[in-house]
Amino acid sequence: MTQKIQPSARTRCWLLISALLVMVLATAACSSDSTSSTATTTTTATPSADSNASVDDGAMDATAETTTSVAAESNEPATPEPDALSGEPVKIGILFSNSGPAGVFGPPTANIAELIEEDLNAAGGINGRPVETVLADDATDPSVGRQAMEQLLDSEGVDVVLGTHSSATREAAKPLAEDADVLYIYTALYEGGECSAVMFNTGEVPSQQLAPVIPWIMDQTGGQKWFLLGNDYVWPRRSFELARQYIEAAGGQVVGEEYVPLGTQDFSSVASQIAGAGADLLFPALVGGDAIAFETQAVDFGIGQDAIPRLANIYEENVLGAMGPAVTAGMRVTLGYFKEVDNAANTAFVSRYFERFGADAPPHMTFSSHIYDAAMLYAEAANAAGSTETAAVVSALEGLSVSTPTGDIAITDSRHLAQPIYVAEIQQDGSQLIVQTFEAVEPDESCDLS
Amino acid sequence: MLTLEILNGLSLFATLAVVALGLGIVFGLMGVINLAHGEFIMIGAYVAFVVHSAGWSHWISIPLAAGVLLALGAVIEVTLIRRIYRKPELTILATFGISIVLRQLMEIVFSKDFRSVPNPLPGATKAFGVLFPTYRYVVMAIAVGIVIVTLLAFTRSRFGMIVKAIVADRDLAESSGIHTGATNLIAFGLGAATAGVAGALVAPLGAVEPNLGLFYLPSAFLVVIVGGFTRLWGVVTGALIVAALQTALIHYYDAVWALIVTHILAVAMLQIRRSSASGVIA
Repeated sequence: MTQKIQPSARTRCWLLISALLVMVLATAACSSDSTSSTATTTTTATPSADSNASVDDGAMDATAETTTSVAAESNEPATPEPDALSGEPVKIGILFSNSGPAGVFGPPTANIAELIEEDLNAAGGINGRPVETVLADDATDPSVGRQAMEQLLDSEGVDVVLGTHSSATREAAKPLAEDADVLYIYTALYEGGECSAVMFNTGEVPSQQLAPVIPWIMDQTGGQKWFLLGNDYVWPRRSFELARQYIEAAGGQVVGEEYVPLGTQDFSSVASQIAGAGADLLFPALVGGDAIAFETQAVDFGIGQDAIPRLANIYEENVLGAMGPAVTAGMRVTLGYFKEVDNAANTAFVSRYFERFGADAPPHMTFSSHIYDAAMLYAEAANAAGSTETAAVVSALEGLSVSTPTGDIAITDSRHLAQPIYVAEIQQDGSQLIVQTFEAVEPDESCDLS
Repeated sequence: MLTLEILNGLSLFATLAVVALGLGIVFGLMGVINLAHGEFIMIGAYVAFVVHSAGWSHWISIPLAAGVLLALGAVIEVTLIRRIYRKPELTILATFGISIVLRQLMEIVFSKDFRSVPNPLPGATKAFGVLFPTYRYVVMAIAVGIVIVTLLAFTRSRFGMIVKAIVADRDLAESSGIHTGATNLIAFGLGAATAGVAGALVAPLGAVEPNLGLFYLPSAFLVVIVGGFTRLWGVVTGALIVAALQTALIHYYDAVWALIVTHILAVAMLQIRRSSASGVIA
């Protein structure tokens, strides 16, 4: 008996080792995904060393899963072009996540691409030329993102790339834009720190989401003692590093700071720790499924929103919807855009969005809104420069300010965006009500290219 | 506080045991490395979501998920796994392919959106002097019950003896008149069914999404590796060790180190098993 079992045990050991290898390959791809995975995924940033690793390791798995999604698709202009438009179309490439863990944010961005074309062409195009958007999917995977960027630059010959995807994909795709000398506007909310001659970064950075909002919420709730709970990667860590400064400056204290790996499903021990920490405010920087698992489980451990008010910096409609209003009512979220933003331009824009794409269309949110804003900034700059040459557009972008449905936005010296920051409070019916607006919030970033 | 941590640990143990049980059956007993095990769990969670959408009680989803996955497991066994029992290395590739297909199919049917199943027993119950979520007590009871029944079925019954005979020597078992085909079918189906139950049980504790299986598969492998795979009881000891280690490390240190240490332990266990196994042969 023993002799029969032992050889098979050895074989199985080898099998397990090979299985583990396959799993490492799979998870390398997945972790770069899930990094970005959740809502935030898009924003999620993976340190560059890490992202390089996943480029290599993930390649096999990624191609298997995603080859079909690599193909760039062209959007034909939806409306007849006015006669005034002539010449070769100006091509706006949009690099986004339409599959993989962050794929949940793809559909609103694809819808917005149609509206970008429509609005820019109706406004006379760019330098009299028609505008065309070209979509490319990174499948939430940096290696696929690099191929997609290559396709946009080489096969499609786009004039500019607008990107809303993970930081891992940005790190993988950026060198291609730099080599091709094509303007690359990264529009997703992220951890900050990007500075490149061909890049502008228009997403929210943690300093914008937190500096004005932390003192405000402490004032509103009377809370002083914070617990910080985040997924373990660069974006939550950077957010908490800044949050700690703002909390201490406002006279509060951090009573606990915990990180959990991406993909955590059981939060019982973490919940017990939060319950024992005596916090009166909780800052959860958790993404996607992790956020949903934590909040659903937290209620039964007696640390729901009712017991410890939340300030969240990424909980968006998909995630909040899955948690349900019973869990989310009262939570406050700080972001650069909500579809509930109250100005005439936005109200008209949002109702047009839902009329066009249906009442149950994937909601327009901060990621798709920032893509729209970046396209408006680009068109404004290219028109002012009278050219689509990268160098000319870059200098026209510096210091440029425009008004969009988001509000008044302006490019800063650090090549980021001074923008409004909104705080929404989740209502009993699950809807989002904007309870506070901070206008023209400057990012605490610097970028010296000289 | 200690009582609460012990309950957390037991709750994690029960979840891990039921999550890894099916993997233990198909790997330990049949030598099939099932990389689609996570997707079986994911589909079980979607069964719970469908049951909730239909307005039925959550408890229906547990037997229903078992039934659905038993059928799916049987279909996969007949169409694919049956052909490669003698080449276990091929099972890795085959089941990896199945996992991708299942994930994409669920994405087509249910979209990528996060779904959720409301907790059928919200709130906490006071016992042993602490408040602990009521639903977790139920999960513990059901999970432990299913693990015990399955282990007894595979170790104490005539069916279990037949499975053992096949594992020990497939050719000899066949020539002694054992119908290996039917036995393998049942064993693989049962493995899938326990994964379905696990999925339905954990559904109210988090998001239901097509990628859910990717989060559970590594835990299941950790348990099987740490516990050993030549005996099915290894699933229980593995789950116990992993749960105790993780709970203690999260309590005294943090969740990231808990994960790192558990993985190091798994690699070490694998090395120990491998060298002891080859030592015997040499």
